[in-house]
Amino acid sequence: MTATKAWMAGGVLLAGLVVLALSVGTQGFGWGDGGSLLLLRSPRVLAALAAGLALGIGGAAQQGVFRNPLADPGLTGVFGGALFGIAVLLGLFPEAAWHRAWFIPAAAFAGALGTSALLTLFGSGGSASRLLLTGLGLNAFTAAGTLVIASRSGESRELLTNGAYGDWLGMATLELTWLPVLLCLAAALLLLPLARSLDLLSFGEDSARGFGCDVGSSRRKAVLLTALAAAAATCLVGQVAFIGLLAPHLARALAGPRHAHVLPLSALLGAVLLLGADTIGRGLWPQAPLSAAAVTAVIGAPLFIWIARGRHE
Amino acid sequence: MSDALIQALGLGVEIAGRRIIDGVSLSATRGQTVAIVGPNGAGKTTLLRALAGLLPSEGELEVGGYDPRIIDAAACAQTRAYCAQKPVSAWDYRVSDLGEIIGDPAGYAHWLTKLQLGEFSDRRLSELSGGEQKGAHLAMAFAALEEPFGGALLLDEPAAALDLSRQEAVRQAIMAFAQAGAACVVATHDLSFAQRCDLVAVLSEGRLIAAGEPASTLTPAIISEVWGAWASSAS
Repeated sequence: MTATKAWMAGGVLLAGLVVLALSVGTQGFGWGDGGSLLLLRSPRVLAALAAGLALGIGGAAQQGVFRNPLADPGLTGVFGGALFGIAVLLGLFPEAAWHRAWFIPAAAFAGALGTSALLTLFGSGGSASRLLLTGLGLNAFTAAGTLVIASRSGESRELLTNGAYGDWLGMATLELTWLPVLLCLAAALLLLPLARSLDLLSFGEDSARGFGCDVGSSRRKAVLLTALAAAAATCLVGQVAFIGLLAPHLARALAGPRHAHVLPLSALLGAVLLLGADTIGRGLWPQAPLSAAAVTAVIGAPLFIWIARGRHE
Repeated sequence: MSDALIQALGLGVEIAGRRIIDGVSLSATRGQTVAIVGPNGAGKTTLLRALAGLLPSEGELEVGGYDPRIIDAAACAQTRAYCAQKPVSAWDYRVSDLGEIIGDPAGYAHWLTKLQLGEFSDRRLSELSGGEQKGAHLAMAFAALEEPFGGALLLDEPAAALDLSRQEAVRQAIMAFAQAGAACVVATHDLSFAQRCDLVAVLSEGRLIAAGEPASTLTPAIISEVWGAWASSAS
């Protein structure tokens, strides 16, 4: 399939999904009287679109910068770091956390950046398993930290637990989502110009520098913006693995591996996947909706094993 | 400064406390081909990477009028192109994608054809043999310098793993690039190609044993000293 056809197919799918997502929910099918249900569901749909877009392009950028098809901010601990950052803020300053719209995104960004820095320091430059094992360790550490804080902060406990299960889309309102949505879009737009650098990095550090890529600067930008994308997405949906893994793989399969195609198409497919997962979770079980994270894990986990197996062989 | 396109004076490289290159001085002017030869472990690849400004090194270095260690990567790429000994790719690009990535698909296609690889343009890298993949990356290096005149081309074992016909195509491409006004430095085990170069630098244990025209550097005495000494120390 050519990149143009992939774009058209993805665009049509996304448009159909948006209509469907706006039509299903716990209060029945349709848009309600005078579009009341439409207004109610819009922030959730917007949040899922923006978070999916950020997760997709963030995953593609992380795979590019680490030259590793198994990299995914959800698996490498960057989402865990973002949620841990939010947990620290809610645990230490539960009252102050909601005073400014940017406090929670800033805490998530600090956490995501911290884990990204540790991942770069300890996990990069070696084999694929080194990166994933470092990510596993960071995931375990941040999850434990979030759990400890959640267990000791009564009013934030449920909130943080829901975040760990990727179940925050249900509480999306325009007041809560506008800033993370803008940050998702900003991170995605700023990642797009790194396409050529990510292509050159795929040839190894020497070759990339030989062809004029400022390796250090490109890596720093990609890591920073991936952390921003992960942090903003976490603020909207909580922890969701596999979107950042699946979207770039699908993009490469559809349009080839050049990052000029992979980055924007991963964003589109990430939005399709997350909104699709959320809509399935709500549509199939309207009285007890499944979180988007649970649906993506059901699809993503077997695929991850398949990709890892293919890579090993 | 002289009209040399590549000028290294007392170049030294130390990696993890071990001296890999020690006080190497080397120069190449427009139109010259230089072969860096020596046994395995002599430091050929490290010297080439140092000349390309890809490694921290001591001593004086100028390539195309600039010190590649201090100018920014984009400016540096205007003055010199480099192809690694074993180029890799994390993703399975189509061969033609490589031309798009360096921003000169027409130039890339031209050099791909020169290297007898034009027919592979639509294939994926994974469908090519190791030698053919190396050729696809070599074409990137040739095409990356917009204008050979005044540029430096640094190639590490460019003809390794290629069949005889393509080896000759690579050699002729290097000679043609030099004739167009570039300085070409090639690290190689191929002494017959070294004989055809303008200058040969013989390296052993990181030090320059001899440098000059092939007739004065690839002598039986030097070959015996360098390769023989290495063989006996290896055993």
